[in-house]
Amino acid sequence: MSVALMSGRRQAVVVAAGVIALLAVPRFTDNEYILTLGISFAAMSVLAGGLNMVYGYVGLLSFAQVGFFGIGAYTAALLVVDRGWSLWTGVIAGGGLATLVGLVIGYSSLRLSRHAFAIVSLSFALLCMIVARDWVELTRGAMGIPGLPTPVLDLPGGVRWRLVRAADFYYLLIGFALLAHGLIYLVVTSRLGRAMRAIKLNEPLAQSQGVNALAYKLLAIALSALLAGIAGGLFVFHLTIVDPSIFDFYYTETTLIMVIIGGPGSFWGVLASSAVLTVLPDMLRFTTDLRMVLYGVVLIVAMMVFPGGLGGWLHRRRVARWRRPRPTGAPSP
Amino acid sequence: MDPSFLAQLLLNGIVIGVIYALIAMGLSLIFGVLEIVNFAHGEFYMLGAMLAYFLTAQWGFGYWPIILIVTIVALALGYVLYEGLLLSMHGEGFERSILLTLGLSMVLQNGAVFLFTTTPRMLETGLSYSNLVVGDLRLPVARAFALGLGLAAFAALYLILYRTRIGKAMRGVAQNREAALMVGIDPRAVSRLAVAVGIGLSGLAGAALAPVYAVHPLMGFSFVFKAFAIIIIGGLGNISGAAIAAIMLGVLESLAGGFLPLALVDALAFVCMIAVLLLRPQGLFGRGVRV
Repeated sequence: MSVALMSGRRQAVVVAAGVIALLAVPRFTDNEYILTLGISFAAMSVLAGGLNMVYGYVGLLSFAQVGFFGIGAYTAALLVVDRGWSLWTGVIAGGGLATLVGLVIGYSSLRLSRHAFAIVSLSFALLCMIVARDWVELTRGAMGIPGLPTPVLDLPGGVRWRLVRAADFYYLLIGFALLAHGLIYLVVTSRLGRAMRAIKLNEPLAQSQGVNALAYKLLAIALSALLAGIAGGLFVFHLTIVDPSIFDFYYTETTLIMVIIGGPGSFWGVLASSAVLTVLPDMLRFTTDLRMVLYGVVLIVAMMVFPGGLGGWLHRRRVARWRRPRPTGAPSP
Repeated sequence: MDPSFLAQLLLNGIVIGVIYALIAMGLSLIFGVLEIVNFAHGEFYMLGAMLAYFLTAQWGFGYWPIILIVTIVALALGYVLYEGLLLSMHGEGFERSILLTLGLSMVLQNGAVFLFTTTPRMLETGLSYSNLVVGDLRLPVARAFALGLGLAAFAALYLILYRTRIGKAMRGVAQNREAALMVGIDPRAVSRLAVAVGIGLSGLAGAALAPVYAVHPLMGFSFVFKAFAIIIIGGLGNISGAAIAAIMLGVLESLAGGFLPLALVDALAFVCMIAVLLLRPQGLFGRGVRV
């Protein structure tokens, strides 16, 4: 879905301006707080974007994003710390493992139904937390793995980039988020995205047109798992510790709210809501309990009266504008 | 292997399995009739236990009045939940109903954390330290009562479902919604009762377990996920399947707790669920995949 009410050219200008603004932030400030917010936004928006692809486009409610995120984080951290792998390989291995796990739970539960997938994805996320907490030999248990080393990236051209300052991580994560959202955008606006949307709207009808629903569902799950796993692997080196709280249900609830408020199936809506919902609650300094109560109320209200979210509302407005009778009687385009 | 140790593990497993069953059966009943997975189910278990705690600690009620009061309050809450929130879902949007009940769960759980903090509280009753002893087997009285209450609730639910008109109507709606509507069953009345009974069972479980476990706002959270695994293992919407799967899981966990590291015990429910999904996706006692 394009930015509502905007032509393709204006849209390109706005996107380019946004990207430049994001990349320019560390030039103007080295305030750690602002950069950390930017890093959180990068990580959370990738989680939300992946969830949007799975829920908003293919129509599968998934609670597994945080599991993929954490698997990526743990895999990268363990490979780098215990095996001395480089950041690149560790993070890619984390993303790969997350993808593999995503395919396994997707394939096993989708044989039954969408409903089973929702429940299994949830159980999977919880199982991840239990394993991280209790399989002490592998994961070091509840204490986690503190003191992750400062990662060094070997860039092409023999440059060694030591990620020391917050600004370094900001560039790394924002850069990755841009790539990830670009990839998601390419998928959802292509033929693949249209097939996914068709599956969500009417699966039997889509299948009767020769769309292999299971393959598209698995594609969406695998891609979201890959991106979430890589995001987790990168993010954890910013935290410098990985412990079972990386699987906290809080992340799941927050990403869900981002997708719901932004509007499932609306690429730009979800991106905007993940920016607002990263920055706003932090600025307002709610305690976590109160924030979650508020999120819960928002979720209930959204489900009762506003199920399309922001994107859905803009879409309805646009459709209403198209349908308005033209005063001159000219044929509509 | 010491046979009395084994028997003790079995007994403990059956007790905990019956409590799992109380929660899982309610969840399964609500899913069967409304096709709604109630994410807030565990929170009503938590609220039941909290209410039991405050009734005892603040007002000094006895065990049986508390069980009665909590169950009635939970039934009423179920009624309100259906009329207030779930009615607007009327059958459309499985995902919407999940998100709605998830929102409710977030409000209840974090609201309880905000009001009462996460400090665990122990409910001290006259029953707390007494045991029933038969041969080598020991069973704390509070657990024995929980077992008795669970079995009584099974019997009551069975009688409602198989011996009353409204129970038959409930099963009818669960089997085929359209056909039930065609023969003049009012889905609203049936759904309302199903939600009330399901929440009532959950509240009862909370009250029955309050003297056994510590009471705190996050207690429902971990419990309900086990219940999800149980209803998948037993077959979605299959109530007796859920009960059997719950008792099997309780026994299995208890036996595993005797021999395996603790880490594996909590994961057992999920591992069983995934195994069942791979080998027998309709559930062990599936009633055919209908969803």
